[in-house]
Amino acid sequence: MTLKNALLFIPFLVFLGLLQSYLWVPTYEDQTTAGEGRLEKFISAISGDARLLNPIVAADSASGFVVSHVFDSLLEIDENLRLKPHLAKEYKVSCLATIVVGEGFSPESLLQKISPHLTSEASEIRVLEPSILIRLIDPDGLGPLKEQEVKVTRPNRIEFFLDDVDPAFFEKSLKILGTEYGQEVTGISAVSVSGEISEGLISIATDLAPITEIRPVIDFDLRKDVTFHDGEAFDASDVKFTYEAIMDVRNLSPRRSDFEPIESIHIRDSHSVRVIYKRPFAPAIFVWSYMGILPEHLLNSVALNKEMDARGISGTARDGFGVRASKFNRSPIGTGAFKFTDWKTDESISLARNQDYFDGPPEYKELHVRIIPDSVAREVEFKAGAVDTYLADPHQVARYLQDPAYQPFTSLGLGYTYIGYNLRREPFQDVRVRRALGMAINIDEIIDYVLYGEGQRITGPYPIQTDWYNHDVQPEAYDPGKALDLLKEAGFHKNSEGFLEKNGQELRFNLISNNGNPQRKAILTIAQNSWRKLGIRCDTRLLEWAVFLKDYVNTGDFDAVVLGWGLSELDPDLYQIWHSSQTGPQQLNFVGYKNNEVDDLIENLREEYSRTQQVEMARNLHSLIARDQPYTFLYVGRRTQVVDRKIVMVKRSESGAVVDYEKLRPTPTGNLNYFFNRWRKLEAIPDL
Amino acid sequence: MFKYFTRALTQRIFLAFLISIIAHAVVHLAPGEPSEVDPSNPLMKPEDIAQIRMAFHLDEPLYLQYAYWIRDLVNGDLKSFKDSQPVLPKIWERFLNSLPLFFVGTLIVWCLSFPTGIYAAVNRGSKYDRLSTFSSYALISLPSFFLAYVAILWVVNNFGVPVLGMRTFGLEEASGISRFMDRVWHLVLPSFLSAMGGVAVLSRYVRSQMLEVIDQDYVRTARSKGLDEDTVIYKHALRNALLPFITMFGLMLPAMVGGSVIVEQIFAWPGLGRLGYEAILNRDYPVILTLNFIAALLTLFGTFVSDVLYAVADPRIRLQ
Repeated sequence: MTLKNALLFIPFLVFLGLLQSYLWVPTYEDQTTAGEGRLEKFISAISGDARLLNPIVAADSASGFVVSHVFDSLLEIDENLRLKPHLAKEYKVSCLATIVVGEGFSPESLLQKISPHLTSEASEIRVLEPSILIRLIDPDGLGPLKEQEVKVTRPNRIEFFLDDVDPAFFEKSLKILGTEYGQEVTGISAVSVSGEISEGLISIATDLAPITEIRPVIDFDLRKDVTFHDGEAFDASDVKFTYEAIMDVRNLSPRRSDFEPIESIHIRDSHSVRVIYKRPFAPAIFVWSYMGILPEHLLNSVALNKEMDARGISGTARDGFGVRASKFNRSPIGTGAFKFTDWKTDESISLARNQDYFDGPPEYKELHVRIIPDSVAREVEFKAGAVDTYLADPHQVARYLQDPAYQPFTSLGLGYTYIGYNLRREPFQDVRVRRALGMAINIDEIIDYVLYGEGQRITGPYPIQTDWYNHDVQPEAYDPGKALDLLKEAGFHKNSEGFLEKNGQELRFNLISNNGNPQRKAILTIAQNSWRKLGIRCDTRLLEWAVFLKDYVNTGDFDAVVLGWGLSELDPDLYQIWHSSQTGPQQLNFVGYKNNEVDDLIENLREEYSRTQQVEMARNLHSLIARDQPYTFLYVGRRTQVVDRKIVMVKRSESGAVVDYEKLRPTPTGNLNYFFNRWRKLEAIPDL
Repeated sequence: MFKYFTRALTQRIFLAFLISIIAHAVVHLAPGEPSEVDPSNPLMKPEDIAQIRMAFHLDEPLYLQYAYWIRDLVNGDLKSFKDSQPVLPKIWERFLNSLPLFFVGTLIVWCLSFPTGIYAAVNRGSKYDRLSTFSSYALISLPSFFLAYVAILWVVNNFGVPVLGMRTFGLEEASGISRFMDRVWHLVLPSFLSAMGGVAVLSRYVRSQMLEVIDQDYVRTARSKGLDEDTVIYKHALRNALLPFITMFGLMLPAMVGGSVIVEQIFAWPGLGRLGYEAILNRDYPVILTLNFIAALLTLFGTFVSDVLYAVADPRIRLQ
């Protein structure tokens, strides 16, 4: 019967057709040895695809990785986390000081009077124009916001340069001049505003005449030998354009807040830029160490208009069309060590060596990023040699530590996990209770069993590998007995049922965390169990992330949370998480931590420009916060990057000849990819 | 006949409209915000978050958001939150990637289900029948990611060839035929794994459908006429048993959108399922909504096609 035979024959044909394809596919062995190009290709695997390959809008780690190879920033962070010049040849931090010329003074006599307090010579002294035109947005106006141009006349002021930033400079000077100095020439009466404007605008306008102002200035001298990948020269206009693109609301740059302290950027000549800040804010300089510089000629309004015409975009869509919407973000052009070549969505991104790189071309000819969402699949591809490096999961790490064919590199992460207590509520206002709760939990056990040993204890709010971290602060030892004593000291005693109570009120609270993080879930259970042993009833709950933030954390409606922070290794600023002004709804000090001493230190630290001072203040902050224990600081996780053992670091002589090979090594703070441009793959595992 | 079609069509257009409204409301009412609005980033100021919400129209009432979505979708201006790229070309690109997987998967399902199902029905109660029942239930209950891991590890360890992705990485220099065969090879494992569940279910259907038909009077008549067993089974019985599968075929179309999320995820296959999955994780509303809408349209279209085919195949249906 033909139908019967067909029903058997067709499947057979299909299977044969599919399976015979196996004979055409090269085995892994063939791939690595046959193609000579393979050794010059570096293949990395990541779990999620990049979104926008543009430094001003990149927010995910995949985009960040690609962008860091394609674009350069003005400054760089060296091995020891210090700033060093990169696209900028040199940079100099100084400041612009402004002071009102009070009655009975001339600019010259005023300067003479305060000059004993100058640590450096004042230069570029000039008298400011009293009248200026400013554009303001009327805050009182009903209806849509409209800009208004008003003429503001302010008292005479002089402005001069100081070689270093000293926020306390005028405080000292005013002591000499008298505290009432300048009062009569500031405030509303001193400012005259022309044109019809509302009350609200007048108060804004008067803010324009403070007695003194200190505005930090950074002067960048740019390299002249740098070109973009399309051959166009890099110059000062590119820096200014990058800043403007970040501030352009159409681009929705997640970096906008970082650049907010900048008042203006001036092009002094084709390769020199001056950045003026609104107020002293020491961490502000770090943005220049990671922000890649965009090519202005490809993204300015002329180029964007051309692109819109080519893509047939018209009408209202044109107004919202900015850098973010440009095709540039899928084929970026920068100044970096690698040029972008290809992006297959959700499959791979490919880069090729920039032979003309100003810092010397990298050793690898091609750099590929493969997108493999599944961690088992990444491991399979890595072990088979189709991937040169990936970030191993904690449970996979042990396998690599014993295997001689791979080099695992373990470094501490920058984020930490903690239990935060709502300090607005009883009984958490008592530091003894918070300490006792922390002591009752065996944190070492959490690290051993929940993290498979891939973590380290911490005692405060800074990453361990930075100078800010205070190593003198000792972690509180696990001691349930002492915890119970502390609670008794705080007025709790065991009731007939064996639970702790105070004034007839049982010690009972809830502990919540977000769903989807197995480690936090485990901590929830461990904490609950440890506290139960002391006689504390704790109810735990896991919530969906959005609900967790909206209904619990932002409204302050919780007793205790298990959460984590991701930190920057550069910036010692703790304002948003620990300052008492940040305890409002939707702000990050949601536990409601308030300590005047800490507040002062945080504020001063923001305005301190000397590194030694910064380190001392940060360590001080660390010990103060550790003493108060608003959080039980738990641990920071380790991350392990595994690399093929055939990959080494090349050492070249002045003339460019290969002198020697070295083993790969991370920087002292654990950054393995720092020396990436010197990496190369050899045919066999070298004996190093 | 014509009246029957037009009624079926208008009903479905109205239904598509209703689905789009409900889907839009459900997606927007679910907790969470697009990942561009990152509440855990300490550096993001409320003004910036407000700005982003405004740009995505998230601050407007739901019905206006719906109108914006439909307007942009019709104009072709609809852009993904994630990368500001137009949504429809994005979906089309992924659709082309998913198509071979869907096609080969479907081929395997239909090729395997009929022989196994018919054989089990004809030899009801035999060892083979019981074995196929057991393995069907085993395949239905085993999660496909588990089978996928086992298959990947087995193939890679024993044969040493790459199986992940759509092609072998770095094979760009090879000849056209080997690149084609390479792509076929990369289809084998994922399409088998995504077909497994389908085979298990469909072969059960075939079996029960055949069993039902085999007991019918006309089959007994055919047998008593003295026809040989193959003619009875494959001509008289099978043809009548095929009728319900017309519906099955129509209902398979929407599986193209969400049918192989897990397999695509594990095999690093850049297809539609993964696009949808990642859009959901990022709350990329334009992509989620459009995919959802396309799936709804495909379902409606599929049922329409099967209605029509049914009417063509079985005149009794038209009369109602």
